[in-house]
Amino acid sequence: MAGALQKRRGLVFVTLFYLLAGNIHADEQLVFGSFQNSQNATNWASRVGLLLDIGVAVERMEDADGVWYRVVTAVLTDPAAEKVKRVASANQLRYWNITEANTTVVASVANPQAPVRNVPAVRPAESLSEANVQNTGQGRERIRSVDLDLGIETRTFFESGKDGQSRFHPALSLQMDLYRSWDNEQQSFTFAPFYRFDAEDSERTHFDVRELFWSRVGNDWDLHLGVRQVFWGVTEFSHLVDIVNQTDLVENIDREEKLGQPMAHLSVIRDWGILDIHLLTGFRERTFPGRDGRLRPAVEIDPDHATYESAAEELRTDGVIRWSHRLGPMEFGLYQFSGTSRDPEFQLVPLPDGEFVLRPHYPVIDQTGFDAQAIFGDWAWKIEAINRTGFGDRYYAYNAGFERTLVGVMGSRTDLGLVVEYLYDERQEEAFNTLFEHDLAVGTRWNLNDVNDSQALLGVIWDVETDEYIVKLEASRRLGDTWTLLIEGRAFGGADEPDNIFDSLFDPDAKSAAVQDDDFIQLELTRYF
Amino acid sequence: MRISIKWLFGTLLLAQVPVAWSLGEDGLVLDGLSPEESGIAIFREADRRESGYQDLTVDLQMTLRNSRGAQSQRKLRIRQLEVPADGDKLLVIFDTPKPIRGTALLSYAHKVEPDDQWLYLPAAKRVKKITSRNKSGPFLSSEFAYEDLALQVVEKYSYRLLETEWVNGEEFVIVERVPVDEYSGYARQVVTLDVAELRIHHISYYDRRNNLLKTLEVDGYRKYANRYWKAQRMLMTNHQTGKSTELTWQNYAFATGLEDVRDFSTNSLRRSR
Repeated sequence: MAGALQKRRGLVFVTLFYLLAGNIHADEQLVFGSFQNSQNATNWASRVGLLLDIGVAVERMEDADGVWYRVVTAVLTDPAAEKVKRVASANQLRYWNITEANTTVVASVANPQAPVRNVPAVRPAESLSEANVQNTGQGRERIRSVDLDLGIETRTFFESGKDGQSRFHPALSLQMDLYRSWDNEQQSFTFAPFYRFDAEDSERTHFDVRELFWSRVGNDWDLHLGVRQVFWGVTEFSHLVDIVNQTDLVENIDREEKLGQPMAHLSVIRDWGILDIHLLTGFRERTFPGRDGRLRPAVEIDPDHATYESAAEELRTDGVIRWSHRLGPMEFGLYQFSGTSRDPEFQLVPLPDGEFVLRPHYPVIDQTGFDAQAIFGDWAWKIEAINRTGFGDRYYAYNAGFERTLVGVMGSRTDLGLVVEYLYDERQEEAFNTLFEHDLAVGTRWNLNDVNDSQALLGVIWDVETDEYIVKLEASRRLGDTWTLLIEGRAFGGADEPDNIFDSLFDPDAKSAAVQDDDFIQLELTRYF
Repeated sequence: MRISIKWLFGTLLLAQVPVAWSLGEDGLVLDGLSPEESGIAIFREADRRESGYQDLTVDLQMTLRNSRGAQSQRKLRIRQLEVPADGDKLLVIFDTPKPIRGTALLSYAHKVEPDDQWLYLPAAKRVKKITSRNKSGPFLSSEFAYEDLALQVVEKYSYRLLETEWVNGEEFVIVERVPVDEYSGYARQVVTLDVAELRIHHISYYDRRNNLLKTLEVDGYRKYANRYWKAQRMLMTNHQTGKSTELTWQNYAFATGLEDVRDFSTNSLRRSR
C-alpha cells in the first residue's frame, strides 16, 4: 500500500518536473545512476540534488532485467548541462548522457509503466553509490583491515617467590585483529585471536579467541553474534559491575584483561535509553597462575578440576539485561544478571600425597549492578554498586569516588587527575573473593600531552582496617610511530605474617600475605604492524 | 558602517545596498548596527552559509613540528552530522600512529551547556566520558586545543566588529570574539574573514593573560557541492613555544547518508573503524 502510494507520488513528481522543466526539445539530459530499489534511488537523488544544486527526479522504467529507478536531471540546455557536468566531475559524480532524450522521456511520462527499451539502464545499478563512496573516500565505505601487535615483556620481581619461583619472567604476546565490513558498513566481521608465551609459568602460556563475531547494524539497533568483549564500569581501582566477560587473571591482576565470551547481543536505542540484551551461551573459566607463577595464593590452584553449581556446568546459558541512559550531566547503567558467577569460590582439597590444592567452584548467582557518572566542570563523580545473591549470603558492595582534572598544571601542557575512591564490601573480613572490603584508594593520573602520548597513573589502595596496601604504577609512552613502552609496577605491604598456610588463606588481616614478596616492575615493548 | 541587519530582511534591502555589500542573495547588511551587533551578524551569516549540509565526511592529516623542525604525523577520519535544533555531532576516528589506531572521539556540541564528549579506547573496549574541562587542552598533543577543533557554535562567543580592510582588491572584516565559557583557554580571539564569502583566513588567539599565544592561517579554499567553502590547509603556530601544527583536509563529501542514531551514538562509537 505505502509502496504503491509512494510510486504514485513519484509519478506526479516526474510529470510536474517535466512540465516545469520547459524546453523539452533541448539538448541534454543526464542520468546519475539507476537502482532496482526505489528508496536507494530517492536517497541518491537527494544527494545528487544537494551536490549539484539542481533539481533531479527519480524516474521509473522497465527493461528486460525488470524495474529500474533512475536518477535524472531535467533536459538541460547546452551551457546548463556543461555547468552541471563540471560540478559533477569536481564532486566525482559519474553521469551518463541520454541520447534521443525527447521521444523516450516523453513516452515514459505519458505511460511510465511501459517498457522503454531504447533507453539504456545504467548498470551495475546498485553498486553505483558504493563505487562513488570509494572514489571520494567518504564515511560509509567498505573497510578491510588487518592489525598485528607483538609484545615483548619482562616482569622483574624484587624477591624470589615463597615457593622459590624465579625473579625474572620474560614473556611474548601476539594480538591480531581482522576486520571486514560490507553492505555500507551495516554488516561486519571481526576476528581477534590472542596468544601469550610465558617462559616461566606454563599456565600463563595460553591462546584465546578474544573476539570472533558478526555484526548487523540497523538504524536504532545493533545485533552481534559470536565471541565478544563487553566492558561496563566507570571507576578506576576496581571493576565491580563488569560481569559479561571472564577475567584473564594470568594476564594482569588488575582484572582488566578478559577472555572472549560467546554471546548473542542485541542493543536497541530508544528515547528512554539504550537496552542491551545479552544471551551468554557458555561459560569461560578464570585463568590462574601455575606453580611456577607469581601473584598467587600460597596453595596451588587446580583449575582442571573446577566444579559448578549448575548441572549444565560450562554449557549453561546465562543472561543479562542492561538499561543505560543519560540525564543532563549524568549517565548511568542498571542491569540484572542471572547465571554462573565469574568469580569462583574455592574449595581446599587434600591430595593423596598430603599436599593441598584450591579447586574453583562456580555457583549460580543473581546480580544487580548499577554504575553512574556525573560530570560537573572538572569534577567527575563516579559510583559502581552490586547486589549479589547465591554467592554465600546475599551481599552488596560499592566503589564510589571522584576524579578531579587539573588542566595544564603550573602553566605546562600536563593534565593532572586526582582520583579518590572508597571501596566497600558489606561482608567485611568475610569477603574472601576480594581484597577491597573497606579500602581507600588515592591516585594521580598524569597526561603529559606530548608528541609521544606519555601518560602515567600512580596510586595506592589502602585497607583502612588491616593497613594492607597495594601501590600501583602504570606508565606508557610511544617510541616513534610504531612502538610503545609500557611500565607497570606493584608493591604490596602491611599484611600480617601468617603462622601457617591456612592462616594465609583465612586470616582477614593477611588476605594479601601470599603476595607480600611479589613486588614487581614490568616492562613491555609493543610493536604495531 | 554598513554591513547590517537580520538577514531575514536581507532580500528586501538588497536593492538599496551597494553590490560589494550584498553578501549573497540573502544579504548581510550591517547598516546602523553597533560593532557588537555587526560581529554577531557576520558569524550568524557565516554559520547560515555552512548549514544545510546534512552530513559530511573528510580525511584529516596532522603534521606536528617542534621548534627544531622534528615532525610527527597523525591521520584521522571525521564524520559530522548537522543537528539544526542544537549543536552538530562529530565522530573522529584515529588511524595513525598505529599505537592509537582505533581510538575514536564522539562529541555532541551544544549551544548553551558544555559539549558532551566520549572517548573510545579499543584496547580496553571502554567508552569513557571525558570532562569538557579538557577543552583548553591540546588535541592529540597538537597545537590545536579541543576547543579550536570543536564544532563552532555562534552562541559560544560574544563578538565585536573591529574594522574592515582592503587587501589586493579584496575586502576583509576583522572581528574580535570572546569565549563565553569560563573554561576556555583564551581571553579573546581576533578573526579575519573575507567579505565576499565570509571565509575565515586568519585567527589570533590570546591566552588568559591576554598575550598572543597562537595564530592560525587558513588557505586553499575550495567550493564543494556548489555551495560550501572548505579550506584544504590550516597552519597553527604557537608563538610562545615555536611549535606548529599543519592540518590538511582531503576528500570532503557531503550528504553521504549518515544517520543520527546509527552513526553518532555511543554504540556506534564502540564499533567505529
